[in-house]
Amino acid sequence: MGSRDQILARIKSNKPELIDLPQIDTSVFKDEDLDLIKEFIKKVEVVGGNVVEATSNADVIQQIKANFPDTKNNFSQLKDADGFNTLNLETIQNPHELKDLDVLVLESKIGVAENGSVWLADDDIPVRVLPFITKHLAVVITKQAIVAYMHEAYKKLSETKADYGVFLAGPSKTADIEQSLVIGAHGALSLTIFLK
Amino acid sequence: MSHSQLASIFNKDEKKVDWHDKALWFVRHKRDLSVHNVKGWEELRNLGHGIKAHMLSNLDNYLIEFEANALKNGVQVHWAANAEEHNKIVHSIIKENKAKKVVKSKSMLTEECHLNPHLEADGIEVIDTDLGERIVQLAKEPPSHIVLPAIHKNKHEVDELFQEHLGTKPCDGDPQYLTGEARKHLRQKFIEADVAITGVNFAIADTGGFVVCTNEGNADMGAHLAPVHIACMGVEKIIPKQEHLGVFLRLLARSATGQPITTYSSHFKKPRKGEKMHIVIVDNGRSEQLSRPDFRASLHCIRCGACMNTCPIYRRSGGHSYDATIPGPIGSILSPGKDLTKHSTLPFASTLCGSCSDVCPVKIDIHAQLYKWRQIITKETPQPFVKKQSMKAMGKIFAKPSQFEKVGKVARWSLRNLPKSLINSKLNTWGQARDLPSGPKQSFDQWYEERQNNKKD
Repeated sequence: MGSRDQILARIKSNKPELIDLPQIDTSVFKDEDLDLIKEFIKKVEVVGGNVVEATSNADVIQQIKANFPDTKNNFSQLKDADGFNTLNLETIQNPHELKDLDVLVLESKIGVAENGSVWLADDDIPVRVLPFITKHLAVVITKQAIVAYMHEAYKKLSETKADYGVFLAGPSKTADIEQSLVIGAHGALSLTIFLK
Repeated sequence: MSHSQLASIFNKDEKKVDWHDKALWFVRHKRDLSVHNVKGWEELRNLGHGIKAHMLSNLDNYLIEFEANALKNGVQVHWAANAEEHNKIVHSIIKENKAKKVVKSKSMLTEECHLNPHLEADGIEVIDTDLGERIVQLAKEPPSHIVLPAIHKNKHEVDELFQEHLGTKPCDGDPQYLTGEARKHLRQKFIEADVAITGVNFAIADTGGFVVCTNEGNADMGAHLAPVHIACMGVEKIIPKQEHLGVFLRLLARSATGQPITTYSSHFKKPRKGEKMHIVIVDNGRSEQLSRPDFRASLHCIRCGACMNTCPIYRRSGGHSYDATIPGPIGSILSPGKDLTKHSTLPFASTLCGSCSDVCPVKIDIHAQLYKWRQIITKETPQPFVKKQSMKAMGKIFAKPSQFEKVGKVARWSLRNLPKSLINSKLNTWGQARDLPSGPKQSFDQWYEERQNNKKD
């Protein structure tokens, strides 16, 4: 008998009698007075990001150019971002070539108010390493895309099938040296959320 | 060495113990602030407990479902009965791909299996990429906490380590500078790596996918750059459905550090085009723990570390005093199941105050299990002579109320009247490193009786 069958047989004989799977009743978590947008903005700030309002994609690009005037390597997934992109992903053979990326702009279809995270999946990220390898990350999201809790986010996700996806909350961080919070461990050094 | 012997080594540096104690209590406090903001937190914990209990009661079927879905996703699935087989499987995947350089993100399982020395013996470079883990790897030490691996080191020790190994400048322990230098050093390792190894926080039976949580982004940097990704998981990491992540991701980070969610909660399902993804499913004693009705709930653990942060013993004895991959209260109920003799002192490293059970996000009855292990250990392993005799004597005293009252009277009088040199002498372990309170004039019984009499009047 191989290890697979051995492990499964042992588990089968050692497990307790079947215990029912509890149903998730999300009504117990609901706070009727919750202001979704206010809560989302607050939580993005808690996790180390910042939120700014934007009227259009062109407005986003303009604000980014004002914030990062001298960056060399920029890439945006936005439509109407003419003149912003300095690299063409189609010519990239290997994700390692993205290592000098300065600013990346992506779009998210789900934001979660309770924790300030945004969902980014394969559809939104042409190369998986992009939101991690970039120095600065900006994510554009509409106010309609914000949900209150993770349960609602997963309900939305059940309608999609992503081969890879990430809930991303704030810039990368660590407190591994004497519990001092340092922003910018391996991933992005800053995160800006543009609320449309 | 016993837990108390190892703890006394940690306790030599009193200042450090004080810092360690306060730093972890601060993390516990952040957890409190965070969970008090969540409406229905207790219900969330009940759900976490219930989903895990259900999962264990149907684990074989969920593992089969998970495997079938993972295979459909183009992921290769391997099974390891023990640590040795796990290491062999990982080694052979690395060999197959003619790989020499491995980056690893945090995985307590690979620590448990001692994977690094196994690979290093064959000349493979293994770099731990979580900053805390890299620090302890450079110091040639095991992690002392499952979420904060280098919590036992101060910034000056990190400064010195980095000067020696990474060639950094002396910086008086500036965390910003040191983290920046580590980022540069590890960026290079990510770029060069042939294989990325990650742990698994949750494996979803009905999708075949798995979730890895980090704050630093190291799991993703490794997995999205290296051509081969190996994810190692214990059998108990399974959850039935993706929607259950809604429960566990709400519980995990809040319990661990007080954050509402980790920076990255990455959902892996299929490998990148043209690249490879492997999952190694490991038993290594877990199916045996499943057979013990009193202790199987220890397999609910989602590795948040909350029980360590709150534990008055852990905070003052340090993670290394447990001499086990998983330290603290949860480690003390997991480890005896693996090696009762080696870990026989761990269930005694507790005041049984129950704080661990109170903060556990999946409601493991940790302190009750610690007590149950004590019953087994005192029966099955030899106990020190002095302890046995004093327990017998205590048993006799407690058995007779009149005797108990007499001894109590003597003790109260002694605490009031004996000189400090005697009370704090070596013979009295309770008097070491602490001043004992002055003995009250009355016993509780006397006080209660008096109170009742006064009421009557």
